[in-house]
Amino acid sequence: MKRFIKNIIVFIIFGLLIGEFIARWFALSSDIPNRTIDRYGIQKYIPNQHGTWKGGTHTWHINEKGWPGYLPKSNDNLITIIGDSFIENFMNPEECHQSVYLGKILPKYNYFEASRSGISFIEAMEISKQLDTLGPRFQVIHLHDSDLEESIMQLKKHNDITQLDVNKQKIIFGKMNSPGLKKILYNWKFMYYLYRRFPIWINKPNKTQNSKITLKNNKEGFNFKYYKKLLEYIVANYNIDDKILVFRPESTSELVKFAKDFGFKTIQLKTDINDHWSFEHDSHWTCYGHEKVAEQVAEYLKSLIPD
Amino acid sequence: MLFNSIDFAFFLPLVFLLYWFFTKNNLKYQNILIVFASYLFYGWWDWRFLSLIIFSTLVDFSIGNLLRNERNITKRKIYLWTSIVVNLGFLGFFKYYNFFIESFTEAFSFFGNNIEGDRLNIILPVGISFYTFQTLSYTIDVYKEKLEPTKDIIAFTAFVSFFPQLVAGPIERATNLLPQFYKRREFNYALAIDGLRQILWGLFKKIVIADNCAKYANLIFNNSDDYSGSTLIMGALFFTFQIYGDFSGYSDIAIGTSRLFGFNLMQNFAFPYFSRDIAEFWRRWHISLSTWFRDYLYIPLGGSRGGTWMKIRNTFIIFIVSGFWHGANWTFVIWGFLNALYFLPLLLLNKNRVNTDLVANGGIFPNAKEIIQITFTFSLTVFAWIFFRANSVSHALNYIANIFTWDFFVKTEIFPNEIYWLVIFFILIEWFGKSSQFAIEKVHILPKVVRWGFYFGLIVLMFVYTGEEQQFIYFQF
Repeated sequence: MKRFIKNIIVFIIFGLLIGEFIARWFALSSDIPNRTIDRYGIQKYIPNQHGTWKGGTHTWHINEKGWPGYLPKSNDNLITIIGDSFIENFMNPEECHQSVYLGKILPKYNYFEASRSGISFIEAMEISKQLDTLGPRFQVIHLHDSDLEESIMQLKKHNDITQLDVNKQKIIFGKMNSPGLKKILYNWKFMYYLYRRFPIWINKPNKTQNSKITLKNNKEGFNFKYYKKLLEYIVANYNIDDKILVFRPESTSELVKFAKDFGFKTIQLKTDINDHWSFEHDSHWTCYGHEKVAEQVAEYLKSLIPD
Repeated sequence: MLFNSIDFAFFLPLVFLLYWFFTKNNLKYQNILIVFASYLFYGWWDWRFLSLIIFSTLVDFSIGNLLRNERNITKRKIYLWTSIVVNLGFLGFFKYYNFFIESFTEAFSFFGNNIEGDRLNIILPVGISFYTFQTLSYTIDVYKEKLEPTKDIIAFTAFVSFFPQLVAGPIERATNLLPQFYKRREFNYALAIDGLRQILWGLFKKIVIADNCAKYANLIFNNSDDYSGSTLIMGALFFTFQIYGDFSGYSDIAIGTSRLFGFNLMQNFAFPYFSRDIAEFWRRWHISLSTWFRDYLYIPLGGSRGGTWMKIRNTFIIFIVSGFWHGANWTFVIWGFLNALYFLPLLLLNKNRVNTDLVANGGIFPNAKEIIQITFTFSLTVFAWIFFRANSVSHALNYIANIFTWDFFVKTEIFPNEIYWLVIFFILIEWFGKSSQFAIEKVHILPKVVRWGFYFGLIVLMFVYTGEEQQFIYFQF
């Protein structure tokens, strides 16, 4: 038995080494940048990191401010673009970022991207508050319906996402979940590949959360009572005059109207059913999708700028 | 729990370690652990159906013990038939109830009498056809006094529920497997390593060959009206390799897993696609079921002892029943009937036991005659699989009709080259390993570096070509 166990262990170790070699050689899994939390409680990336997307098709970099993509040459005539993994856009080359496409259409402006996968609406507003110091002309915030829901602690508590306790009217900043373990996993390429390829813990329902609340007050397909409190808080605590909320094509139109009624400038992106913006096996936008999004955002921006 | 699931990847090492380290080589503890592990394995799918297995176990254990002391022939027959009725009753209800209701309704409608038949929303318990036949073999063998009834209920429960072969076979005979539960198992290094090797090959067959062929077979069979004849033939070929990779892969994993626990199960597949005639094919395909039908149906019916007509009748009965065993659909019955038809000339010419040796005499190259024979037998098999895979008889007939159209080569679907290379690689490995119990059994004679390189190669292929996880086809039977 000892011999059997010994051979199994040696075989597994060899297997892991060979797997690691193959995973790195063929770039089977993407490099994932390490995160940090700044002094304002915002999760961003450790500045000046570089990495490769899976398959080695292209590289990404984190700029000195801790966000993916290029920094603007100047802060004059600045438009900021805030969002989640769609704007972070690691899956495409940096030439396909929103700032690049918008820069081609509206070259008079400079663009600053601040994005990180998994941000909530309230966290996007916190980021925009930081960027207010740069004096931007507009701040474009890309949203998905779930970004609003995830902002409200009472609907579902997420420890790793910044949320608003709507009852106490207090922001609870997200913490990083198991950062040490994640660091090991991201650097152990073969294990990360297996983890992504054969997910064990997929969408397991969290029974401890207040999931019942989401079923109540569900007038227009979203939780009216809590969304109202969230938007009231935002209107009272942030400057929303220069904010433009960009909703995805699949967003609920009632939600877009709801935000508009609170004084936000809003865009709901439109796409044709035969016009495919996303990857085949990934809901994120391709370069083509990003180009189309930038065209629609630019059209709206033009309508706001008479000259 | 599926053999190719993450759950099983955690379950197997855990049970293995508990079995060898915590039962202290105590027979009773070993059997108890097997029972618990088997019930967990089965209950992982649906714990409610454990009650069926437990009930079946208790019935057959009790009947076995009643038969022990009973000398009265009539009473012995009553006990035997009680077991048969209970076991086949469950099988009939869960598997065939809706089929019979629908068939009767359609038959009456055909003759102008419209009757109402209520279908029931029945879930088919996984593996019911397998464990039912296994427990029946015990009662029948005890009745025929080929086997001493057991007094050890734990050993008997472990025999009925033994997790490696519980849900898709091999259908073990009580005479082979049950006595293995009476003896304390001691760890055998060579047996365990052999088991791991067989598991690896089984996983390769399932994950790389069956699941990848399934993708294209499903695509073509589900849209058969859209494809040309040449593509439809490819669809039948993909299914031919899918079902072999799937079922023999499962058997390999089952046998290999049993070896890890010190058990020897019977060989279930012996490279059937290299058969030179249909009789040889049936000696090599799903051996545990074929021999079950031979021993418990064909021989009791008279076998080949009567005249020609009796031989023909019995042959058709076992092939049709075998087809029906696979599922409650006329497609399976026709598949069985077709195989009986293929078998008939051999039977009439008394040539059904000609090819009992190893093809190519176990060597590398077959002769021209063997190549022709193998190709012909393989083609017949592929044709019959169309009925097996089709959703209905009309679908199968339509599929075949679409093959023989003028636009045979028009709109031929191009499939990725990888799938062809994988199947060719698979056939070559199977061919070179055809004199063994499983294709890579003899790999152990290679130097360690080459051997391990080969294992890692198979593992890499599995990772690279893992497709969408497909349930084992035979689970539905």
